[in-house]
Amino acid sequence: MLKVIGLSHHTAPVEVRERFVFDAAEGERALQAVTHGEAAEAVLLSTCNRTELYLGLSEGASPDSAVEVLAQHARISVEDARAYLYTFEERRGVEHLFRVVSSLDSMILGEPQIQGQVKNAYERAVSAGNGTPDGGRVVGPLLSRLFQHALAVGGKVRSETHLGTGAASIPSAAVELARKIFGPLKGLNALVLGAGEMSELSLECLLGEGARGTVVASRTEERARALARRLDAGYARFEEFPRLLRDANIVVSATAAPHAIITRELVLRALPNGPGHPLLVVDIALPRDVEPEVGDIPNLFVYDIDDLRQIVDDNVERRQKEIPRAERIVESAVEDFWAWHSSRDVVPLIRQLRGRGEQLRAAELERAMRRLKHLAPEDQAAVEALTRQLLNKMLHAPTTRLREAAASGDALDVADAARYLFKLDMEDPQGKGRVE
Amino acid sequence: MMIMVLHAAALLLYATAAGIQVLSLAQGQRLAPRAGDVVLLAAVALHAAGLATFVATYQELPLVGLAPSLSALALLIGLSLLATTILRENRPVGLVLLPIVSGLLLLALLLRIRPAGRVLAFRGWWLAFHVVLGFIGYVGLAVAFAAGLLYLLQFRELKGKRFGRLFRFFPSLATLDRLGRSGLQIGFPALTLNLLLGWAWTIRFRHTFAFATPQVIWGVITWWIFLVALLVGSRGGARARRSALASVIGFALVVAAYVILRIAITGGRLFL
Repeated sequence: MLKVIGLSHHTAPVEVRERFVFDAAEGERALQAVTHGEAAEAVLLSTCNRTELYLGLSEGASPDSAVEVLAQHARISVEDARAYLYTFEERRGVEHLFRVVSSLDSMILGEPQIQGQVKNAYERAVSAGNGTPDGGRVVGPLLSRLFQHALAVGGKVRSETHLGTGAASIPSAAVELARKIFGPLKGLNALVLGAGEMSELSLECLLGEGARGTVVASRTEERARALARRLDAGYARFEEFPRLLRDANIVVSATAAPHAIITRELVLRALPNGPGHPLLVVDIALPRDVEPEVGDIPNLFVYDIDDLRQIVDDNVERRQKEIPRAERIVESAVEDFWAWHSSRDVVPLIRQLRGRGEQLRAAELERAMRRLKHLAPEDQAAVEALTRQLLNKMLHAPTTRLREAAASGDALDVADAARYLFKLDMEDPQGKGRVE
Repeated sequence: MMIMVLHAAALLLYATAAGIQVLSLAQGQRLAPRAGDVVLLAAVALHAAGLATFVATYQELPLVGLAPSLSALALLIGLSLLATTILRENRPVGLVLLPIVSGLLLLALLLRIRPAGRVLAFRGWWLAFHVVLGFIGYVGLAVAFAAGLLYLLQFRELKGKRFGRLFRFFPSLATLDRLGRSGLQIGFPALTLNLLLGWAWTIRFRHTFAFATPQVIWGVITWWIFLVALLVGSRGGARARRSALASVIGFALVVAAYVILRIAITGGRLFL
């Protein structure tokens, strides 16, 4: 039985979510603890916006120990944890994972990181032992198939829809603008003024695109130095800014200054003939850091937070239009997966049916061969092949119908009928022979 | 008949490829679909087959006479477009180049693609070399024009803070600048060689420095336009924008020069 227990930005505020974040080692310990309990299989997905445990439980098993593991990690009571946790079972659980990996459930619709995060979660679970001396695994056939299917669904949604295209955050909108001016940003010089959260996010985006970054401190020098060290970027004091401007391609300003610090006068003092190559200045500070008149300088492109917001809103709107297409892909994938999963329920019965058929075939063949000893060996082989073919043909339709019934949710009735018609209720559970 | 059919089919496919580009732009997409490239490839293949049939039928290269020359020039532009679309981000230049190709091909079809029936003194492989070099020059200018036009439009969108369809669909300024410069850098030496070859032949065999023929005047005007576009784009802050502007104006001047020369000097007769 598949069960998903977790919390996300839909159910818990950030101060709660951050308590449930697991690093790699904590995650492995949690998986071991959970699979020592009642879960046969487990995968832990932990990102800044969600923590979820995917469990493969045997029939009648309870997920309580998994809830306890989560609550214990967050250092809150089980009752308090339950207030934020949601649970999805079986088909709803499959659908949930497929929506998560497709980024349909993300805080920023269509964000690309979740695919990698789900992949990492699965790979970590695959490589984690369950802590027992025999080196047992925490991922079995159900979750293995589920996550591989999920990753394929995520890839399909990304390649067949535009759910992930266009920038959907302010820093990535700045990068999108830069790409429209410079093309690839590899090797370009980027100056980031300020050391706050927006500066950090912008610098991360630019470095991720291959640009060379320098943090320019306006007032908080120590913080700027720390940011530069953390992201492996350069550091400079604001007094050096005019000199650095000559070789800069991109300037992102996000200081907390109460007035404009990049003025037309300052730029023209640094670059008397204007920039020798296109220069992009992105002002994401409020109040604004860049004087609007700076945009009048030739070859200089200036954008403020409203301009970036315009790009983001437009892209988000376009992403939202892609939701129905993405949902259709997810829905069809859930159908496929569920058909496979349900067919697993009738596998023992099919095995039993085939075992019974084979038993009868072998017995009747043996009896017939006693009377057909005069046949040449090749003729005897032909008779045996005939019986096998006959049996296979006879059992093909019931086998297919049983699988179909399982996929459509009618497995119980059809299986009962099959048991009754083929007298399988008198067989032993392993299908090894008739119970006398 | 086969020549006309193949050309007409190619024209239809070029127009379809242009339609795909326009549709993608109108829908606000970031990139035209791959199908557009496939249609363009099929158009170029049919077009090449049409000209190959011309060569096989008439035993001469399609380089003399206005209709065959226009078709050959259109094929070279089509090929250059195909080459530029190897880089996916260059695809939108088809928005400008495909109508040019379609226009040239339509004109060639209207004029009927058949041998001019003129016997030139300057003939053989040297003539073919001379004409093909000239064509490469004009193809280079056409590519620079297409890239320049898109550059100016994208620049306007960026400066005007309009982040709509053009902003999304057009390539980056750097890409367009690179493409435009490549057009000029390939076209200029080719046209220079074309002119030198023509003059060398004239001086060697005619013992004259014939300048006052429409072909030569047109070639020299184009050469100067190339030179100006290359020089204004070689240095300075707004180098790329000036180069784009010069390419666009230069291409318009080259077309205008052809029309003026045809009306004023040749009295409406065709020259090429």
